[in-house]
Amino acid sequence: MWNELLYAFEAVATLPNFIAMAAGIWGGVIIGAIPGMTGTMAVTLALPFTFYLPPVTSILLLVALYKGSTYGGSISAILIKTPGTASAACTVLDGYPLAQQGKGGKALNMALVSSCIGDFISNISLFFLAMPLAMFALRVGPPEYFMLMAFSLTIVASISGRSLVLGIISACLGLLLATVGEDIYGSFRFAVTEDMKSGLGVVPVLIGLFALPELIKMIVFRPEDNNAAMKLGDNRLTMAEFRGSLKSILRGSVIGVILGAIPGIGPSTAAFFSYSEARRTSKNGDKFGEGELEGVAASESANNGCCGATMIPLLALGVPGDVITGVMLGAFMIHGLTPGPLLFQNNIGEVYSLFIGILFSSVFLFVAGKLTAGAFAKISRIPQTLLLPCILVLCVFGIYSIGASPFDVSVLLVMGVVGFVMMILNIPAAPFLIAFILGPVFEDNMRRSLAISRGDLGVFFHSWISWAFFALTVLFIALTIRREWQKWREKSRNTAQSA
Amino acid sequence: MTPNRDFYTGLIATAFFAFVLFVLIPIYVKVPSFIPGFAPPPDMWPRVITVVGLVMGILAILFAIPKMRATANDRVMSIGATMHRNRKLIVRFSGVLIGFAAFAYAMPEIGFVPATILLLAYLFLMTGNYSRKIWMIGLTIVFPILLYLVFTEVTHTPFPEGHLFSAITADFVTLI
Repeated sequence: MWNELLYAFEAVATLPNFIAMAAGIWGGVIIGAIPGMTGTMAVTLALPFTFYLPPVTSILLLVALYKGSTYGGSISAILIKTPGTASAACTVLDGYPLAQQGKGGKALNMALVSSCIGDFISNISLFFLAMPLAMFALRVGPPEYFMLMAFSLTIVASISGRSLVLGIISACLGLLLATVGEDIYGSFRFAVTEDMKSGLGVVPVLIGLFALPELIKMIVFRPEDNNAAMKLGDNRLTMAEFRGSLKSILRGSVIGVILGAIPGIGPSTAAFFSYSEARRTSKNGDKFGEGELEGVAASESANNGCCGATMIPLLALGVPGDVITGVMLGAFMIHGLTPGPLLFQNNIGEVYSLFIGILFSSVFLFVAGKLTAGAFAKISRIPQTLLLPCILVLCVFGIYSIGASPFDVSVLLVMGVVGFVMMILNIPAAPFLIAFILGPVFEDNMRRSLAISRGDLGVFFHSWISWAFFALTVLFIALTIRREWQKWREKSRNTAQSA
Repeated sequence: MTPNRDFYTGLIATAFFAFVLFVLIPIYVKVPSFIPGFAPPPDMWPRVITVVGLVMGILAILFAIPKMRATANDRVMSIGATMHRNRKLIVRFSGVLIGFAAFAYAMPEIGFVPATILLLAYLFLMTGNYSRKIWMIGLTIVFPILLYLVFTEVTHTPFPEGHLFSAITADFVTLI
């Protein structure tokens, strides 16, 4: 193992990898700092460029973008009271009051330090937890894999937003779109044109769905640009202030790791949970919300603490924990790497390189934040009327460069319109994405299992691993139904009271 | 009852999945005469998905009914009135659709770079905010050319020059 790690260290410590990580961190911070641009957008926009990079460099670039955007969200949250990403929403509560008091720089520094510590602890947990989980999962065949995928699809319930029904509709759309093209036995499905015979590319669908709707929304609704940023002001973070928040940072990091490793929970929940715990236990709890550094530290350490941990189920089981890891799953597949237990058997070198590279990216995050916090603050003021049209053109060039196919560009534009219509109809896009990526794997394993068993459905229940995943799936569905029922009852009670 | 957004979403989803199940699958998913082993036919999975989608669409309509009942009658607005009230938004959305369609059509005709320059100019115009005209004009010209240079130099992508441009160049060469 140690020899392999040393070899991986040598493989990662190259100039192209460092450039990719630095570019990813800086790019991610810039995109995360711009309100309306999300980490998912950052990762999907970079996908076309990864085609020209080696697999490990590509994944490191995407991971760096993820981490950078998670931290970047705090910049606009602190300076213009607009969280750049959903996970930074909690940082607004104390970050903006601090900026109003002329302590914007101090808040940014605390956000950076706590983000880096959370990120580092998360990476270490990835290193130690992913491999044992994968070794256990090595015993799975097509039937067990089918059950695992069925369990993965239940994540749709937790990323459906306000309506489970609309979430399932979205997932059905994604599953249906994934069937376009040739199936495993050579039959064509929905191949209306010649181009559709090879199916729809993951990248144009993802970029269209996540990057373009924001542009169309801006053109249709024309919101006012109101990004007046506060000044950085007092910039120094003292040792006493750091020590005062250390407990919350460490607790937030652990909360981030635990909640990040559970598929479907995500950094926003971790940030709010960590913040409420810090507020409950801190001696300055009553000052939370008025500009307390500990509040910034609690939320930022938790949301960055999720970054490495969400990779645990992705690498070990091939289960994406959230939307960004869903995009990364697509990136792995594009490069011929299939996340899951076999990755640890067939591509252990790449896995170790990834672990080492991810540790390096924490250092890059710290350096990038320290050197360029002032410049990042200005970036949050770039008007969206200039930025979003340029992003569309960048997407068009990027998509065309992948396969020199005008069809892919058309898919991108159509998916942008579909994404906007879904947004208008309140249909969440995240279940669509997860279903579109997992759909083919789910179907292939189901059909393979049934072919092996000569149509006997009992094949899905032959091993205890299948039973375990089946039980988890049933448990998750039962909990979701219970939650929805409680929500419905509460709503009915409120309606009856108001009547 | 006031039809709300969830009601329309359910209606659209039901209609879409019904259309796929009863029209598209029979036409565009061909079942081969021989399937190896006992593998399920290729139309099995799309049928399962569309049936689930159809049921969910109907459920979305059913769940929207209590909300619609709860809404006061004086706020009832027909779909026509709703569209009339939002006509500006609909015109802008149609503008986006026209712009995208025109780009997809024009790209092979006039070439990739001129088409993207026109697309970018069109999108800037559609934003309705002209307070940074100089930036808009500069970016419209410089940004696509810069991207063209980066992609042709780094990734060697063969961007389409356009039938029109190729024809003019060919005529010009013939003339010389």
